[in-house]
Amino acid sequence: MKRENFKRISPFIFEIPKSFRSDMRVPARFYADFELLDGALGDKSLDQLVNTATLPGALKYVLAMPDIHQGYGFPIGGVVATELPDGVISPGGVGYDINCGVRLLGTNLDEEDVAPYLDELATQLQRSCPHGVGRGGNIRLKRNELISLVQQGGKWAQKNGFATAMDLEHTEENGRIDGADGRKVSDRALKRGLEQIGTLGAGNHFIEVDVVEEIFYDKAAERMGLYPGQIVVQIHCGSRGFGHQVCSDYVKQFQQVVHKYGIELPDRELVCAPLSSPEGQNYLAAMSAAANYAFVNRQVLTHLIRQSFEVTLAGKVRDHHVYQIYDIAHNMAKVEKHQLDGREVTVCVHRKGATRAFGPGSPILPDRYRDIGQPVLVPGSMGTASWVLVGTEGSMAQSFGSTCHGAGRTMSRTQAKKTVYGSELRQQLEERGIRIRAGSLRGLAEEAPIAYKDVDRVINVVHGAGIAKKVARIVPVAVVKG
Amino acid sequence: MTDPHFEVIEHTADWSIRVMGRDLCLLFAHAAEGMSTLMAGELDALPQDVQRNLALAAFDVEGLLVEWLSELAYWAEMEQIVFSRFDMVEVTPKSLRAVVRGGQAAELHEHIKAVTYHNLEVVHNENGWETTIVFDV
Repeated sequence: MKRENFKRISPFIFEIPKSFRSDMRVPARFYADFELLDGALGDKSLDQLVNTATLPGALKYVLAMPDIHQGYGFPIGGVVATELPDGVISPGGVGYDINCGVRLLGTNLDEEDVAPYLDELATQLQRSCPHGVGRGGNIRLKRNELISLVQQGGKWAQKNGFATAMDLEHTEENGRIDGADGRKVSDRALKRGLEQIGTLGAGNHFIEVDVVEEIFYDKAAERMGLYPGQIVVQIHCGSRGFGHQVCSDYVKQFQQVVHKYGIELPDRELVCAPLSSPEGQNYLAAMSAAANYAFVNRQVLTHLIRQSFEVTLAGKVRDHHVYQIYDIAHNMAKVEKHQLDGREVTVCVHRKGATRAFGPGSPILPDRYRDIGQPVLVPGSMGTASWVLVGTEGSMAQSFGSTCHGAGRTMSRTQAKKTVYGSELRQQLEERGIRIRAGSLRGLAEEAPIAYKDVDRVINVVHGAGIAKKVARIVPVAVVKG
Repeated sequence: MTDPHFEVIEHTADWSIRVMGRDLCLLFAHAAEGMSTLMAGELDALPQDVQRNLALAAFDVEGLLVEWLSELAYWAEMEQIVFSRFDMVEVTPKSLRAVVRGGQAAELHEHIKAVTYHNLEVVHNENGWETTIVFDV
């Protein structure tokens, strides 16, 4: 694929027409500037985007966000809406880490309040929050308890003392997707899920203590309680082995299901079923269970973070309490209603490495955020910056209420490890005042900032295109990684 | 076991390996060796005090390859057991029987979340069998 295959239809939107490939059902659009476009042409991400345009029921256009990078099946940073009742749902279009997402917690602490205790806080967070490959947590569930958990989501966390009412109110879908059914997941998924609640995992997942550096939208920042110099905390993780297994099981099952429904696809990872079919409904129920698992996982980690703040800071600062600003998913398929070309459509929106970004006035938003739009949380690469945004009328009109989810990789993990030593990277970050607590130096090197795009450039595209609005830029002071 | 016949392919976010084998038995053994190497590094350093007898079936050879590797990745996640010796008793395009040996790794380099079907095709050519596998990490 080349630059010449794209038509620039606005300063931040490039389009690949439907005529590019005979099996495309709709055009493909990429939110980018020229530099991001040229970068994306360096791997197979845009070919993968074109492949998603072949999905039955794909509506209007398939979309890629500026943080796009190569994935498997769908690109990371892809948004595909299929029109119901005939449109499909694709497990690979959600990905293995179902409801991987980000939570932002606020505090009433200034940077200088925490500075004397930051090393201790970082160490306590690492000690309290289980992390690493396959690492079990402190909660051991029985099978029937896990089934209740995945069906109740956030309510299970509240009943068991891990969540407040405000936590749930400030979580996408209130931390519980309706229709989740623990009977639609395999024994192996349940086994993988039994001991992993309240664990971070490894890879690019992290807990990060940040400082609010700059505010761009006063009203929204005030509503979220954000102000310059404030300490906030981010959590990035998902549904762990439970979600991975749910996706694996249904990708396997759908290899046969596509033949039943006569669906032809350019890549077996894109397998799908009509959402209205029994197979599609079963996957939706299982995916929702995994999504609820992830909401509870981040909620239990929130509880452990609160305990860490208490252990480290109680009696030393005026207020060590931690409150929830918002929690969003960035790997999910959702049934939603949207306005399109003057009519209301019901669609299944796949966001794989993309964030829901509903605009002001949406009835699904909590009262506190309804007139500013949905908070959108965009973690950058480790040691750079992250962003708080809000959804806009533009995201509702252009992108099925969606926007970007991160910085996006540009360099393979192998290349990152050849370029940067984990020990040197940790030293460089610590010289800049960022405390690093990493389970593995190899893993740290894989996540080096040099392996990622410039998150500010990504944000400038979504802000410039009007599919999200800048609220605040935050920078890290302590990072805990698996 | 013959020399390893796999190579790591660059992938922006995940891991990919290209695997070769004179026959299906060797292709499957080399694929497992490649994945274990990604997870644990030097396989000779691993203990071999765990043995499992595996019998798996699938509706085609690509599905069987995903089943096989997923089974091995499962034990790495659940018990940190990485297998390093793969005696393939029988491999057909739809079923396999194998005896695998390995042990608990001191540290896992990578967490394989899943084995994907992305562009997965097991092909036969003049040198034997070949495939490229993408892992979600």
